[in-house]
Order: sequence, then structure tokens, then C-alpha cells
Amino acid sequence: MQSSNGALTPAVFHILLALADGERHGYAIAQETERVSDGGVRLGPGTLYGSIQRLLRDGLIEESTRVRRAADDERRRYYKLTAAGRRVLEHETARMSALVTAARAKRVLRRANPA
Amino acid sequence: MTRSRHRSRAERIYGALLVVYPAAFRAAHGEEMARLAGELDADRLRRGESAARFWLRLLADLAGTAISARAAAARAAAHRYSDPSAHLDYAGDGDVMDTLLQDIRYAVRTLRARPAVTFVAVLTLALGIGANTAIYSVVNAVLFRPLPYPAADRLAMIFTSTTSSKQGPVDYPTFLDWRDRSRSLEGLAIARPISVNLTGTDAPDRLVGNFVSASFFPLFGAHAALGRLFTDAETTVAGAQPVAVLSYEVWKTRFGGERSVLGRTIVLNAKPMTVIGVAEAKFQAPFGSAEVYLPVPLYNRSGLERGNGSMFAFGRLKPGVTVDAARIEMRALAKQSEQEYPKTNAGVGADLMPLHEQLVGQIKPALVTLLAAVGVVLVIACFNVANLQLARAAARRTEMSVRAALGASRRRLVRQLLTESVMISVVGGALGLVIATLSMKILTAAIPSNVQLFAPLAIDGRVLTFAFVITVATGLLFGLAPAVQSSRTNLHDVLRVRGARGGSLFGRVALRDVFVVAQIALSMVLLVSAGLLARSLISLQHVRPGFDPENVLTMEFRLPPAKYSTPQQISDFMQHALAEMRRVPGVTSVSMVRAVPFSGNFGATPYEVEGRPALRPADAPSTQVNAAADGYFTTMRIPLVAGRDFDSRDARDGTPVVIVNQTLAGKEWPTSSPLGGRVRAVGDSVWRTVVGVVGDVKHGSVADTPEPQIYTAYAQDVSTFSTVAARVSHDALTFGPALRAAIWSVDRDQPVWKIRTIEFLMERNLGQSRFTVKLVAAFAVLALVLAGVGIYGVMSYAVSQRTQEVGIRMALGARGIEVVRMIVGRGIMLALVAVALGVVTALAATRVLSAQLFGVSHSDPLTFGTVAVILASVAAIAAYVPARRAARVDPMVALRHE
Repeated sequence: MQSSNGALTPAVFHILLALADGERHGYAIAQETERVSDGGVRLGPGTLYGSIQRLLRDGLIEESTRVRRAADDERRRYYKLTAAGRRVLEHETARMSALVTAARAKRVLRRANPA
Repeated sequence: MTRSRHRSRAERIYGALLVVYPAAFRAAHGEEMARLAGELDADRLRRGESAARFWLRLLADLAGTAISARAAAARAAAHRYSDPSAHLDYAGDGDVMDTLLQDIRYAVRTLRARPAVTFVAVLTLALGIGANTAIYSVVNAVLFRPLPYPAADRLAMIFTSTTSSKQGPVDYPTFLDWRDRSRSLEGLAIARPISVNLTGTDAPDRLVGNFVSASFFPLFGAHAALGRLFTDAETTVAGAQPVAVLSYEVWKTRFGGERSVLGRTIVLNAKPMTVIGVAEAKFQAPFGSAEVYLPVPLYNRSGLERGNGSMFAFGRLKPGVTVDAARIEMRALAKQSEQEYPKTNAGVGADLMPLHEQLVGQIKPALVTLLAAVGVVLVIACFNVANLQLARAAARRTEMSVRAALGASRRRLVRQLLTESVMISVVGGALGLVIATLSMKILTAAIPSNVQLFAPLAIDGRVLTFAFVITVATGLLFGLAPAVQSSRTNLHDVLRVRGARGGSLFGRVALRDVFVVAQIALSMVLLVSAGLLARSLISLQHVRPGFDPENVLTMEFRLPPAKYSTPQQISDFMQHALAEMRRVPGVTSVSMVRAVPFSGNFGATPYEVEGRPALRPADAPSTQVNAAADGYFTTMRIPLVAGRDFDSRDARDGTPVVIVNQTLAGKEWPTSSPLGGRVRAVGDSVWRTVVGVVGDVKHGSVADTPEPQIYTAYAQDVSTFSTVAARVSHDALTFGPALRAAIWSVDRDQPVWKIRTIEFLMERNLGQSRFTVKLVAAFAVLALVLAGVGIYGVMSYAVSQRTQEVGIRMALGARGIEVVRMIVGRGIMLALVAVALGVVTALAATRVLSAQLFGVSHSDPLTFGTVAVILASVAAIAAYVPARRAARVDPMVALRHE
């Protein structure tokens, strides 16, 4: 799940992030990821479902039990974060935020963020 | 509910590819993944991104994740089963993918153990597959890719047909009849491409014009980028308006791409025209795009008359109508016109041809030849790699026997070996794609100018599929024989007599020899074809065109009819211009003619001879007609055989005269002198007296058979279009500016274009032959190299397998030279058998080629002989190298060799 330096793989992080504000099906996760990353990250079916498989195994996400119908009146599988998944996402975000703060202190970014 | 949902093509393809994942993973996520692939593909389409890139990314994603999913599944399985034999050779009933992965891992190890052999195999296939993919991309672009028009497969061209010409031009009134009466065609359009003069700008210039009906644009799916296109009313004779539509390119280059061009007046053929629109950039008309489009009624008055056909007609078959049905209807309509207008239409039929066929018909045989040639190269490459595999398989017999003894089924062993082959071919195929991509530019440049490429050559989905299919097919093809042979292990044989080896240096015929023979025979076919094509190109280049093409410069101009409206004005202009051009230093002689040979311009008409029974226009013999000023024959060095050249007597008011060529003279006056006889074009009112006979001239192409030719005297047969022919002292092209300036000194507004030498025109004419020869020759050389490598490989393998035997012979007193003779003799013998077979095959193959040959027989003994000698020499050299090595062997070392 985590690569050797302790960080989540980008695909895993993006999936967790996409599910942070509600349940989504695969295509919606892919779309959300592309939107959040400004088109920089495009999840292929293999990467997406390979990661979903591992996240399911590790209990970080689960399949939603609510029956949802998509626009084409078709049953689709929706996924949502588990409590553990949310904790991992929070933890990872905090870690990244700490890194950004450290980087800023070293003036890695040319201009300080106005915020 | 799931079943009823429509699954897109992308979804179905991806669904099929999912087989690479472990079964459990597939069951859990397969359906959703395929669906996602379909949705991503739909996104891609909306964004207008390339399919190739999308699928490449998808496949990379698939491959990468499948491997980790497999690894995870294998780890999980390893926990479940403690029996290690479960991972060894279980025959076929396990998960297909697990076995395959096992085979692949094993294959990688084996292939890496012999890098040199693997490298040669991969390179051989890469060349074969690369060449095939490259040629296929041309075939795809020219023959398979649909034309860029709506419902392009239903577009057709309509012609008039007479006894002398099957595909004649159409006149405007007949076109209107067809348009109104046809039930099988819709959207009929007519076009008359012809140059027009643009004046009133900085320098007078010529534009490629096209006089069209309003229906021309919708028929070919063209829209306006700016302003509008023609309305139907604007292009009727009654409602014709002086309006013009510019091509996108001309708008950008000449009019600065400014929107203000709309409504602007430009002077075309000395008439003011209002620009009403610009065609969109992507619009490409068949047979080349025009720079400016004008309403067809503005084409000169006489060109609109019945019986005076000069236009191209197009239409679209209505849905469900076959080409034959439309053809039958057009013939019936032509019959109707014959009855209604017997004077002009008697004997004039109609014919119809699918547009695509009309556009590619000429190049098709050449492309088919190339595809066949390059296919043969691939087969040779396959034989080569098959031989390498055979050699390897022989070396691995012990290994195979051991695996068989441990319980591997024969099927399993064959599959293992095939996996290796396919892996070699896949790597070769990938490299081949790189080669093909790199050769795109060279190929594009080599494509002859008479082929209209609507889109650049590209590796698109279809080409990729082709490359993939031939890659896998070659892998199976060259892998099958060795795999079957080496898996046919007999436990007794091999295990008992360890090291029994399948060499064939001195004795029985092995499969390997058969392969080598096949390779050489196939190379022979290619080399002979290349030789014949090259010889016919050489004969084409040496055809005497009937004139001396050296140091002749030509240039064209068309006088605007509005400015030069009377024959006298035109004739005066010609006289002045000729006088000015004669003054240019270095010009030996200069004259004018309507259409210079090899320019692509020509005139043909049915003719009749005075005193002979009258014929219907459609049955009359046809002649090329050309108008020539005095001095034309001297300038071109066309020999005057009898009578006299044109001179000052042949002025406008003189007796109408013509000069005919020898073919016409011999045909019409076989026993008497043609001088004094009179001829005329059918429909012409004046008889013209023959005053001279000149030699035949090749006009359209050097391969032309001699045709009747008539030259009228320029002053008596004026037209606004004319070509200058000037013989100069040296470097013809450098005289262009001076000669053009001479014309400008007569009329500053007169554009002059196509300043070219006749030698250039003749070279261009050979473009297609050159294209075929170059490529077939390249493939033949490739084939020769591959065959050479093949012979070398087989001989050196045989030698290495028999080192021990050679050692014994040498120890017993055989001299090195005898060993060399023995081995080289064997190589030459194989080559001779192959050449004999090759001659038979080549004779059959080149028969198909004969339509593309000129001046050389398809069984030309010189070509066959030369090729046979070349092949035998290559075989001898390829055998000599390993033979030398064998002869240098130290007997003691050889005897210990195992």
C-alpha cells in the first residue's frame, strides 16, 4: 500500500481524496482526479481498479451498500471511505502539508503564497 | 438489464484484453473496468484526441498493472498451496495466463542466454515487419482510407464515351439533362478546372481556377470558412453573377487572411469579380484543389455549348443504388440525348466510375506489386529466423527430452517454444514500427506526383493492427516448424545417444536446407522483378521522344479573353512576344505551340479526310491536335519528312493549312503523298490542306504508342492559351526571367507560369516507374542480404556441429582446401537447386508484372542470368567464410570438441 518511503502511491492518494466528499463510482473517481490535478493525473482502468482492489483488501474503502442508479439506469459499484481510510487520508495530507511548510521555510517556492 | 446496455467498441475490445488479469481480479472488477475504458474513450472522442495515443496509454496501464496483479495473485496462491510441483509443468488445465507467464519468464531467460542469435533474429524481423508496415501505411493512405468526403464510397465520376475515348469530358447542356433526368444519382456537380489570370495586384499572376456548379461544394462536403459559397441561382446560365470563392490557402497567402476580403473586387481574366467567400482550410477537391472557384457559366461561352465537352461531372449514387445500375441508367440517358440531338450527340454514350477507383486506379498495380514484394521479404525473414530457431532447437534437444521425461506434455513444449518465437517477433515488431515511423518521410517524398494524398502518411489504428497481426503471424509462422520438430522428441534416441546432432553438412536433406532453398528462390523472384523494372525504366529513359529535349525551356500563359477578344489581337500579341524573345541573348530559336509534349496539356478530336465517306462524330478516328507557330519544328528538332514548315504564307487570311505526323500520313495515305490532301476536325467548317509531314512525337508519355497528330498553323487557329518553347545555348532554366521579361515588355499585366525545361517534364513523367523501381530494388537488396545471412547461418551451424568430423578428416590427411571445397560445394549446390526453383517461380510471378514493363520481356534471359550468377556468388561467399574457419581447425582441438 505504502511505498518504501512511507508515502501513498499517487493513485491511492487520489482515490482516497476523490472519495473524501462522498461515494463515487470508478468513472467518477477518474473524472474527479483529473479535475483536481488539472488533467495532470489520468487514472487508467488498470491502475484505478488495481488500487481499488488493494484498498478494499486493506479495508481503507468499501463498496457502498446503498443501491444507486446512474443516469443510464444501470447499477454501478460505488465506493466510500471507511473510518480507517479517512484516517490514512488525513494522516497523509498532514504529512504532505508538513513537507510543504518545511519547503516554504527554505523558500523553495519563489513567491510566498499570499494565503 | 446489463445485457441490454449498449457496449461501445472500445469497451468490447478492452473487455477482451482483460484476459491478462488473474481470473479472480477479472471477476471482481472486469465489467467495471471495461465500462470505464468505454467512458474514457468517449471522453477522448469529445476532446478530439488521437486514438493511437489513447490505446497506447491504456495498453501500458494494462500491462503494468496486470503484472503486479498477477504477482499478488501468485503470492496469495503460494500461501495456499504447499505443493511446489503445482508451479511446474501442469499440462494445459491451469489458468492460461499463469502458464503463459511461466513460459514468458522461461523464454526471456533462454533468449538472454544467446544474445547474438536473439539479436540477429530480432533485427531480421524488425526489417521485415518495418518494411511491411511502411508499405502498408502507403497502401492504407492511398487505397483503404476513405476519401475525405461525406458518403465517399457512393461518389462517382460521369464521362461521355465514344469509340475513341472511354472517359471523355462532358458538355454543360448534356450535364444539365443528366442532372434533371437521373434517378440513380443525386447532387450532380460539374467542374472545369483551368488557370485564370489575376491582375490588378503587384505582379500579374496565374491562379488555379475551377469553374463549378453550386452543387460542387455540398457534394464534397465543403463549407465556407468565411462568407458563403455559391447559390444555385448564381451558377445558372441565366442568373450567373461575377462572384468568386477563394481557397483558404490563397486567402491566407495572397490576401493576408483578412476578413475584409469579403466584398472586395479582384480582376480575374480581365473581368472584375466580387469575393463572396473563402472555402474552409480542410477542403481538398478531388484531383487537386483550386485556388479560386468561379460559377461555371462564366467559363467561356463556346465551352458551354452542346457537343463541346471539356468538363468533369460528379455525382453521388443514391443509397442502395449499385454502380452497375447507375451505369445502365446513364447509358439510357445518353441514348435519349442521341435521339434528341443527333447532330452533336450521335454515337456519344456515357460511363460512370466510382471516384475512388478513378483517383487510385493508376497507382494501384504499383502498390500491389510493392505489397507483394515486401511480403516476400517478410517470408524470407521468417525462414531465416525459423532456421535460427531450428539450430537452437537442435542444440536444446537434450533439454526438451528431460522436460518431456519429467512429464511435460508435447503440447506444453510446443507452446513453450512458440512463446519464445512470438516474443522474438514482438520485440522485432516493436523495432519494426520504429523503422516504419522513421521511413515515413522518405516514403512520402518518393510517392509520385500523380497520386493525390488527402492526408499525410501515418501509423494509424489500421496500420498498427496490421503490424500487430503480421508480428504475431510471423512469430507463429517461423516458430511452428522448429517447435513441432524439436518437441517430437524420442526419449530413447536422445537420452541414450546424448549429443546426437542434426547437422547436414554432407548428407541427408534437412528442413533447414529446405528453408534456405526457399529463401534463395524467393530472393530470386524479387531480384528478377527489380531487374526487370529497372531495365524497363532504362528503356523508358532511352525512348526517343521524336524531338531533342536538351536545352529547351517552356513556359505557359493564357491571355485574358476580355482583353484579347479578337483573333487579330491574339495573333499580334504572339508575333510581338516572339520577336521580343528572339532578341534575348543565348536564345537559339523560339516558337509557340498550344501544348508542349509531357506538359499534361493536350487536345484530341475526331477528324475526317476530304473525299471519304462521312462518319458520325463518335465513330471518326481520333487525332491529337496542336497549333504550332512557324519555327516550332526547328526549335524542337522534330524532323520534317516531306513538304514544308509553316511560314509567312500561313497568315490568318492565307489558305488554311496543317502539318501532319508520319503515323497519320501513313494511315490515311498509305500509298500516295498526303501533300495537298485536306483534313478537318469533325464539326469544323473549314478544310485544311496538308503542306508538310513531320516525325511522330511522344506527347503524353514515353510509353505512348504512335498516334495520329495534326498541327494547325498558329495564326489560323488562335487561342488564348499558349506555350513558349525556346531552345537556348545552355542551362535552360536560367533563361526563364529574361524570356518572361520579354513577354512583359509586350504586356506588363500578362502572367507567365510553369517555367520548366522539357527534360524536367519528361523526368516527372517517369515518377511512378521510378517509385516502383526504387522500392522493389530496395526490397530485393534486403532479400539478398537476408538470404545471404541465411546461407551463412546454416553453413556455419552445420560446420560447427561437424567440427569433430572435420577434425577426423584432417587428422586422416584431408587438406584444408578439400574441406573448403566440400563445404562451399554444398552451399553452391543448395543455391543451384534454389535458382532452378526460383526461375520457375519468377517466370510465373513476372507474368503478373508484364503490364508494368516496357521494352523488356518478362522472361528476359539477361536479367534472369545475371540474377542467377549473383545469387550463386552470394551463396558461395556465405559458405566460404565458415568453410575457412573449419579448414583452419586444429585437428586435436576438433577431436576434443563436444
